Amino acid sequence: MDFRWDVVWTAMPQMVEGAQLTAQITLLGIGGGMVIGTLCGLIMAFRLPVIHWLVFAYISVIRGTPIVVQAMFIYFALPMAADIALSGFVAASLTLALNAGAYITEIVRGAVQSIDRGLTDAGLALGLSYPQVLVSIVGPLAFRRTIPPLGNQFIISLKDSALFLVIGVAELAQQGEQLTAQTGRALEIWTAVAVFYLAMTFSLAVIMRLIERRMTIL
Amino acid sequence: MSLIACSKLTKHFGDTPVLRDIDLVVEAGEVVVIVGASGSGKSTLLRCINVLEPITSGTLEVDGKRLGERGTSPRAIRRETGMVFQQFNLFPHMTARENVMLGPRKVRRQGRAEARATADRLLQRVGLLEWADQRPSQLSGGQQQRVAIARALAVNPKVMLFDEPTSALDPELRGEVLQVMQDLAAEGMTMIIVTHEMRFAEAAAHRLIFMDDGRIVHEGHPGTLFANPPSERFSDFLGHVKT
Ligand SMILES: Nc1ncnc2c1ncn2[C@@H]1O[C@H](COP(=O)(O)OP(=O)(O)O)[C@@H](O)[C@H]1O
Ligand SMILES: [Mg+2]
Repeated sequence: MDFRWDVVWTAMPQMVEGAQLTAQITLLGIGGGMVIGTLCGLIMAFRLPVIHWLVFAYISVIRGTPIVVQAMFIYFALPMAADIALSGFVAASLTLALNAGAYITEIVRGAVQSIDRGLTDAGLALGLSYPQVLVSIVGPLAFRRTIPPLGNQFIISLKDSALFLVIGVAELAQQGEQLTAQTGRALEIWTAVAVFYLAMTFSLAVIMRLIERRMTIL
Repeated sequence: MSLIACSKLTKHFGDTPVLRDIDLVVEAGEVVVIVGASGSGKSTLLRCINVLEPITSGTLEVDGKRLGERGTSPRAIRRETGMVFQQFNLFPHMTARENVMLGPRKVRRQGRAEARATADRLLQRVGLLEWADQRPSQLSGGQQQRVAIARALAVNPKVMLFDEPTSALDPELRGEVLQVMQDLAAEGMTMIIVTHEMRFAEAAAHRLIFMDDGRIVHEGHPGTLFANPPSERFSDFLGHVKT
C-alpha cells in the first residue's frame, strides 16, 4: 500500500489548527490544575480542619470516574442541573484543570510530606513562623520533588485532551476524525496526528527534564 | 532572675506520660548536662523548653517570658533558645553561609550584608569560613554539626540546647564539635546539653542531671555524682555508657 504524502500536506493547515487548540487547552488545563493542586495539596499536607475533607471528596470523585464522564457531565449535564452553559473550549479546559488538579493535589501532598520533619523543627527552632518555614525551607525542597511526577501528569493531560472530541471541540484528534471522513485516508491522517502528539509530548518531556536538571539538589 | 524556670512541667503523648513534674531552674551562664537511658524523656524535655512540643501542664518561663501569657508566643520563646539536633538538620538546598544567614534575615530582620557579616563571623568562630559556599552534602558530619551550631547562634539566643550533638558522628569527628561547645561554655553561654560524653560532662558541666522514666532523679556536681553514684540505677547507667 502506498503512503500518499500529498494527503498529509493538504491536511496540514487543519491539523496545525487542531494542534494549536490542543496546546491551548492543555496549557489552560495544567495551569489551572497547578493552581488547584498546589492549594489542595497544601490543605491535605497540613490537614486543615474540615476543608481537607472537602478536598478529599473532590479527589475521590475525580479519581473514581473516567475523564470522559467528567467532560460529558460538565458539558451536557451542568447546563441542565445549574443552568450554566459552557462553550466546548471552556468546558474542555475546565475538565482538564479539575482532572489534573486532583492528581497534582496528590503529587504536592506527597512531596510536602516527604520533607524531613527535622528541617521544619530546625526552622521553627530558629524562630521562623510556619509560613516562613513553608516559603524558605519546605516549599523549595518539595518543589524539586514534584517535578518528575508533574512531568508525567502534564503528558497524561495532553493526551487526555484528545477525548474532548466527544464534546465537539476541534482539537487535534477531532480534526483527525474530520479529515479522515473528508479524505478517506485513515493511514496518512492518523500517522500525521500521532506524529503531532509525539512532537508535543516529547517537547514537554524535554522542558521538564531541563527544569529538573537545573535543580539537581535533592 | 533565672534564664529558664520550669515548674511541675508534665508532658503526655496521648495517655502516656513522658515527663512528670519536672522542676528545673537554669541560671545565666550555667552549663547543665542531662543524662539518662534512651526513652527517659531527655529529648522531649529539650523540645518542650523550645516549645517544639506543647506542654501538657505546668509552667515554662524563658528569660522572664512565661509561655501562654499574653504577648508570649511560642515564637518569642524559640527566638531566645537555640537548638542543635542529633541529625544536624541543615537545610540541604542552602550553602553553609545561607543556612546561618536565614535566622538573622527572617527572625532578626537583618539586611543581606549585615546577615552575611553575622554568618561569616560565626563560621569563622566554628572554624569553617573557608567552607561557607559548600552545601551540607559536601561537608563531613562534624563540619555539618559545627555549621548547625553557628546557625543556632546566629539569632543571638540567650540559651543553647543540644540534643546528643555528637551521637550521629564517627568517634574521630566528635572532638571538633565538643571543642566548639567547650569554647562556648568558656565564653559564658548558657547551655543545656543532652549527651553521653561523660568526660565532656565532667570537664564542662556545672551541673549534671540524671533522668529516669520522665523524672529528674539526681541533680548535682558531675564530679561528685560520678565519684559517689547515689543510686544503683545511676551506677548501672554509668556502667553502660562507659563501655
Ligand atoms: N512524638 C511522639 N509521640 C509519641 N511518643 C513519643 C514521641 N516522642 C517521644 N515519644 C516517647 O516518649 C518517650 C521519651 O522519648 P525521648 O524524649 O525521645 O527520650 P530520650 O531522648 O531520653 O531517648 C519515649 O518512650 C518515646 O517513645
Ligand atoms: Mg533523645
